[in-house]
Formats: sequence, structure tokens, C-alpha cells
Amino acid sequence: MTISTPEGTEQGTTPAAPLALEEQAPTRRRLADSQPTTGVERFKDNLYYLRGRGALEISGVYLLILVGFAVAAAANPIGFPFLNSNNLSGVLSQNIPVLAILAIGAGVLMIAGEFDLSIGATIGLCGVVFIKVANAHNWQLAFLATIGVGMTVMLINGLIVVKTKIPSFIATLGMSFFWTGASIYINGSNPATFFPGVRTDAMVKVMAGNYGYFRSQLVWLVLIGVAAWFMLHRHRIGNKVYAVGGNPAAAAAVSIKPTVVRLQAFAFLGLMVGIASSLYVARTSGMQPGTTDSYTLLAIAAAVVGGCSLTGGRGSVTGMVVGAALILTIENGLVLGNTPGFYVQLFLGLAIVIAAVFNKFMEGKAT
Amino acid sequence: MTTTVDQTHGRPTSVTEPLLRLEGVTKNYGPNTVLKDVSFEIGQGEVVGLLGDNGAGKSTLVKIMSGVVSMSSGKYFWEGEELSRVTRPETERLGVETIFQDSALVPTMSITRNIFAGREVTNRLGFLKMREMDAIATEILDSVVSIEGIKSAKQLVGSLSGGQAQAVAIARAVHFKRSLLILDEPTSALAVRATEALLNYLVALKGEAVSSVLVTHNLHHAYKVCDRHIVMNHGKKILDLRREDTNVEELTAAVVEGMEGVKRYREGQALA
Repeated sequence: MTISTPEGTEQGTTPAAPLALEEQAPTRRRLADSQPTTGVERFKDNLYYLRGRGALEISGVYLLILVGFAVAAAANPIGFPFLNSNNLSGVLSQNIPVLAILAIGAGVLMIAGEFDLSIGATIGLCGVVFIKVANAHNWQLAFLATIGVGMTVMLINGLIVVKTKIPSFIATLGMSFFWTGASIYINGSNPATFFPGVRTDAMVKVMAGNYGYFRSQLVWLVLIGVAAWFMLHRHRIGNKVYAVGGNPAAAAAVSIKPTVVRLQAFAFLGLMVGIASSLYVARTSGMQPGTTDSYTLLAIAAAVVGGCSLTGGRGSVTGMVVGAALILTIENGLVLGNTPGFYVQLFLGLAIVIAAVFNKFMEGKAT
Repeated sequence: MTTTVDQTHGRPTSVTEPLLRLEGVTKNYGPNTVLKDVSFEIGQGEVVGLLGDNGAGKSTLVKIMSGVVSMSSGKYFWEGEELSRVTRPETERLGVETIFQDSALVPTMSITRNIFAGREVTNRLGFLKMREMDAIATEILDSVVSIEGIKSAKQLVGSLSGGQAQAVAIARAVHFKRSLLILDEPTSALAVRATEALLNYLVALKGEAVSSVLVTHNLHHAYKVCDRHIVMNHGKKILDLRREDTNVEELTAAVVEGMEGVKRYREGQALA
């Protein structure tokens, strides 16, 4: 860089023209004058600034798919029973909440700038813990213990990442094998199952109850989703998460501690994994360690489809939930349409990549 | 305004102690010494120019003053009292605000959220008052700098130009400063009119008993507004002169050629 000298100034001999303090800035358009005032204007303004943040566009896409499936189901209720209550309640409202809760955990961690590849392994460990504690004591204690184990596991993962500063990719990949091993060590390689009478009516009602068109899991998702939305988008905790993921140096300059916030995000993922695995075993009544690995990448894929960025700082709770719903609804549609098994994977993979590319494109339109 | 500032810190109305005094500040990054035994002070309501070529240690000094980087050795006095630990929360409490060269904003957050990051307006449970913050952000953007092209405080900082982002950083620092405003190359990305407005603002701040430190390459800007000039060279302070005791030529010589240049300039002046 060079020292600039304004042209035509006689250097040094006289101080350059004295500052005219009394001179007011020329009249200019004020930002305050162009802001929305009425409710309708404000709504439009808010909608405008939602573009490219992930949730709005993918929700539109999801709505289109839902309408498409509904029309197909109305035209051919027998061949494509999408609207059948068995399908809505038995498949969608049982599968979507578990994945969506995991996606909220994975997504918040991604916004904070880290991710975790041991989600699936931790579900296995948590599930085993739930069944063991429920068999020995009761399901309420099992639920608390499962959450405790989930959070402890994720805090250990987080401490390794934050303290050693090795990339979370390799740290949590290694820990994924470790936690699978740990659950086999605790349980043996046979599936863990509830003793007769342990899976009480009360437990089923709370964690896997059938209420016609939906199941208890959907209630859990709504409660968790609303709470997570407020904490992430309308609470100062959420602002810290975005700041740390978007620019850690800028966060540190305003007294936000990136390592603390990242650890909190890991712990939050642990909480989500604990709840999701409890719902999972309450429904399936069993857990075999090593069979839940696919959830890791499904949860991350759901978050990415919903607009989270692997580099941090971007994403929304609505997007994460819609991302999970989109993936599982497409899978459901493919299965109902009698698509052969390998085509399901093929189309699902394609749909995830297209959704991610679409998000990347919309991100560029963000203002 | 002066009285409010004074009340905030409970300082007596007539203060003889300088606002900030650094003594023997040294900073090592591994084997490299970037600051060697630097001492200076910043008076109440004073505008100080911190000058020097690239690598002179200006930015490190700025980071130490604002509490973002800790010093290897040295003392930090605030109104005559030594701080035992100089951290960002501590300097924030004292009312020090910094506009960093790399503007230190989060591109994926809105202007409002950037301005209030870490210091949000919330209710008692910590939930954000978004509408209130949007309104304040709009107001300070209007009052501080020219904001050509910014349409709303809800825009993402990542969608702004370099100059507009700089304006946001300035707006934030100006809003939260209470005693000391540090500006690290604030005009590098600003348009001419915005630069002029900012420099005027620094002079006006004196009336509010707010001190400022201006780090810049542009000696003419510095000379216009600063009461005192500190020139750094290879991690050492080589000049510390009041405005009336120096001129742009001498400062240029000091920045470009260090102490050698100053000697040559003074010899030249003596002969003439």
C-alpha cells in the first residue's frame, strides 16, 4: 500500500483545507423514510427478506410435491394410497418426526460451524441405554438417562473437536466407531429388547400413541420445533450460534466465546439424539447396535436440503424440518408407487442432490 | 452529553489522568516480536493518529487496546488505574469500541443482527425485540454515515458492498462507544463524501468527551483531524508529536523511511 496524496495539494506546507464542521451533509434519502409502516407492508417486507435463507423456497417445493401426491392419491386411492390414514399416521407421522428432530440437532450444530458423523452410532447407544434402564427401573427414568447419555456423548465429541482443533469430520468419524463399539460392549451384539410389561400403556401413549391421522411423535416434533425456532431465531442464544458459525473472529470481537457456543451446540444435538432415540425404541421395541448408522447422513442431508450450509452460519429450523419431511415423503411416494428397492435409493439420492443445488442457487438471490 | 458520559463512569468532572495509558507493551507471536516496548497515552477527548507502514505493528496495537489480543508484557492503565486483565468484556464495559480493518462482521447475518450481536435488545428472558432493534439500526445508519444503496436493516451483510459493510461497522461502533473509539483504516473502503462525514464526526466527538484513535495510511486525513500523531516503525514508536509540532512532510518521512527519514528531513529544514 502507498501513502495517498490528494492531487494538487501542496504537500505539508499548509494544512489541507480546514474541515467545515458547520456544513451539513446534503439532503439525502433517509433509510427510515422508506421502511414499511402498515401491517401488510411489514409482512411483505419480512417475506422479501426471507428469500434465499433456505426455508421459504424448499417449503414451496415441498408443498408442490404434497399437492402432486395428494392429486395422484385422489385419482387412484387403491394404487397410490398416500392419503390413507394408515400411511399418514403409520408411516409419515412416525418417521418424519424422528428424522426432523435429528435434523434440528444436526442443523443447529452446522449453523455453529461444526458437524457430527456419530449421530447414528449415538442413537444405537442411546437406544440400548433406554431399554436397559427401562427394564431395570421404569421408562421415565430411562428417558432421562437416555437424554443424559446423548448429551454426554456429544459433549465428549465436542470437547475433542474444540480442544484439539482437529476437523469435526475426522474426530466424529472416529468417535462414531467408538460409540458403536461402546453400545456392543454394553449390550452384546444381539438386539436389546424390553422385558414383558416394561413398555407400559402410558409410555406408548406418550411416545408412540396412535391418534388416527397422527401419532405422539408428531406432537413431540411440534413442541421441539417451536421451542427450537424461538431459541434460534428470536433469542440471543441463537444470534450467538449464527455469529460463531458465520465468522468466529467477528463473534470473538463482541465477547462471544466460539468454543463455548460450539460446545452448547454439541450438547443440544445430544439432547435431540436422546429424545429421537427414545421415540425410536418406544416404537420399534428393540435396538440392535450398528443398525442405525444411516441416520447420520440422513439427518445431515435433511439439514442441507433445508438450507443449512456445511461451512456454517446459514440455516433455519423450518428448513431443517421441511428438509426431513421432503426426503421421507419422496421416499414414501416412491415406495407407494411400487418402485423397485434400488430405484428408491437412486431417486432419493438424486432428489437430495437436486435440492442442495437448488438451495445453493437460491442462496445467491439472498438480500 | 458530556455529563452523561461522565456519569456512566462516575469520573470526577476535572480529570488530569489520561483516559488510556500503555506502558512498555511488547507482543511476541512465537519467535517474532511485533511490538517492542511501546508506551503512549491517549488524553480525554483527544484524537490521536496512529501511523506507520504495513507491518509496523499498528493493527496489533489496536487489537491490544481493544482487548481482543493480549500483550506479552506491559501495562494497561485506564484513567490512571492499572487493569489486571485486559479482555474484550472488560474493555467493552469501559466503553471502548473498535472498527477493525477487516470490519469483523458476520456476512450471513442481517445488518440489525450484526449491529446488536452479543448486545441484543431483549426482554427479561433473553428473547429479541426485533422490531425495536430494526428501528434503532435504521436510525443509526441514517445518522452516522452515508448509506447509498442500503435498502433495509434486514439485508444480509454478505449482500453489501465493501463500503456499505464498512458503514455498518462504523454505525455499530459509533452506537456503542462511550469513551474511546478506535478506527483501524476506516476510510479504506469508503466513498469520498462518507470519508469526509466520518472525519467530521471524529472532531465532533471531542465535544462529547469521547477520545478516538485513527489508524490510517492517508496522512492528509490524519493530519486534518488528529491532535497528536504517533508513528510506528518495525514494532517501535518512533515519533509522538502534537499536531502543531509537526507537519505532513515530516510524518511522511517518518512513515516511509523511519527515524532515518526524520533526521534527514530535519537536517534539510535546518539548512534551509
